[in-house]
Amino acid sequence: MTSSSKAIAACALLILVCIGTLSYWSEVRNDQDREWVTHTLHVVEKLQTLRIDITQCETGQRGYMLTGQDRYLELYEAGVAEVRQDLKELPDLTADNPREQRAIRQLNPLIASRLAELNDGIWVRKESGLLAGVEAATRANNGEKWMGQIAAQIGEMRDTEAGLLSSRLETAAASTRKIKVVIALGNALAILILLVKYFVIQREIGKRNLAERSLKLSNERLERRTAELSETNIELESFAYSVAHDLRAPLRHIAGYSGVMVQDYGPHLDAEGLRCLEKITGSAKQMGRLVDDLLGLSQIGRQELSFQDTPLGSLVGQVVEDLAAEHAGRSVEWQIGELFSAECDPGLMKQVFVNLLSNAVKYTRKREHAVIQVGQTRQNGVRVVFVRDNGVGFEMQYVGKLFRVFQRLHKARDFEGTGVGLATVQRIIRRHGGRIWAEAELDRGATFFFTLGSPENKPNEQAEVPMNEKDERERRKKKMNEKEEELHVERS
Amino acid sequence: MSNEVEILLVEDSPEDAELTIRALRRNKLANEIHVAEDGTDALDFLFCRGAYADRTFSHPPKLVLLDLHLPKVDGMEVLRALRADERTKAIPVVVLTSSFEQEDVAAGYKLGASAYVQKPVDFEGFSEAVRQIGMFWLLINQALPPGEFTASKAHGV
Repeated sequence: MTSSSKAIAACALLILVCIGTLSYWSEVRNDQDREWVTHTLHVVEKLQTLRIDITQCETGQRGYMLTGQDRYLELYEAGVAEVRQDLKELPDLTADNPREQRAIRQLNPLIASRLAELNDGIWVRKESGLLAGVEAATRANNGEKWMGQIAAQIGEMRDTEAGLLSSRLETAAASTRKIKVVIALGNALAILILLVKYFVIQREIGKRNLAERSLKLSNERLERRTAELSETNIELESFAYSVAHDLRAPLRHIAGYSGVMVQDYGPHLDAEGLRCLEKITGSAKQMGRLVDDLLGLSQIGRQELSFQDTPLGSLVGQVVEDLAAEHAGRSVEWQIGELFSAECDPGLMKQVFVNLLSNAVKYTRKREHAVIQVGQTRQNGVRVVFVRDNGVGFEMQYVGKLFRVFQRLHKARDFEGTGVGLATVQRIIRRHGGRIWAEAELDRGATFFFTLGSPENKPNEQAEVPMNEKDERERRKKKMNEKEEELHVERS
Repeated sequence: MSNEVEILLVEDSPEDAELTIRALRRNKLANEIHVAEDGTDALDFLFCRGAYADRTFSHPPKLVLLDLHLPKVDGMEVLRALRADERTKAIPVVVLTSSFEQEDVAAGYKLGASAYVQKPVDFEGFSEAVRQIGMFWLLINQALPPGEFTASKAHGV
């Protein structure tokens, strides 16, 4: 995912979280608003009750005045208790509203006066009978006045509460509306962002498809090039092989006839003549070695490898034994460490050790006490075999030439050789999927390191090479036969 | 053609033939050497036909030195024909060739070569190889009694 599409996704997520928080908060607010509405309704109901209770007092008193019966007196007294209770509760209910508090303070004396008047009536009726009561009531008939004022006061209070109710209902409705709008807008925004993200992803997929297509194209190109290259390589190998092979016969003849010269005509030649003949023989011999090494090298490139689990230690042991003749009379100390077992072609791997160890023997020749170490170490988790000597070494600036065919870092006069040995070693190691490198210091010895590839990368090589190899060998054979045919025709 | 031929040298290179013969003679081996320059000539000689019709199967060469890369019929074909026939199948054949291709070595043995020797490039090596081959096959190795290779004995196996 690109950074822009990550940012988009983060935005969408943030908006959704905001909407969630907002709707939770608004739900809480809504609850509060509804509570206020309920509270207001409660106050209105209480005011209603107060009026009814006062009316009950009046009804009870009037009944008692007319009949003198105690049940009316009880009704009256119950009414008074209710009114007192109502008047006690109202201030608490309206504690939040100073205006209502004021109204209650005005209402209190009015109701007290009215109740006192009613009580006076009852007292006269009790003491002096029906007529005196009626008379007293008639005389001091302030009842209507008080009641009018009380009703007006309660009405006013109810109006106030009604106003409050409507405003509170309005608030609740408004906040609900607001929340709805916010949620709708938020969702719309989130959807928009997700849409944008969708298009961004679409574009990225398009780009990636394009990139994949071009990668595939360049892969195909690469494969074609590799095929061409390996074809060229095979042709080169085959050329090298033919050249080396065809060189062998005339070379053998040069060596052979100069040998005959030495054997049969040696006595007739003077010292200079013999020296020249020896030079011819020696050069033919050296060229023979070169040709044979080249043939060997080309063979390694083409031959099928037969992998076996091989303990490298025992290979080294055999090679050390075989090399004993090469350093007879010298003081050579072998330090052979523990070596692992590897999936490899034992014949070729032995060749590797033969070349590396005989090099070590050769290049320590001028040491009074030669020390040659073989061991294993680990580099970046990969097992590495090393061969170290205390010989003449070489200058690291020439290390690039070390593994090239016919490249030598020492004069033939000092150390004989064809310059094919290390190239052969490198080819064998490469065919095993491994790597070889060297470290050295002039006059301080050299160390060669190599790895062997994991068995997984072998089948590929095995599968590809033999096919081409077989075809190639057939072709080469045919070519050779044709050539010999020609030769024959020429001769006959 | 004499019946005394001890070695049939199948070799298309006159130089190689000369050097081989020289090495043998120098070691007092094989007075009777016949050189066949190609596979057809070699087969005619071994099967006593064509120019060699006067030869008999009862006196085969003690050794055939066979080069592989030959004009017309190559060394492998010669070997195959030799081993396929009861009259010639027991003749010792040493492949003496430039090739040290593992494939050729294997094919040579599969077709019944008695030995496989690569021609060394250097003169001493070459002379020594030829000397040892001659010594072994002509002097040390016990040849099959004459008469064992006749046509009448052929269907015995």
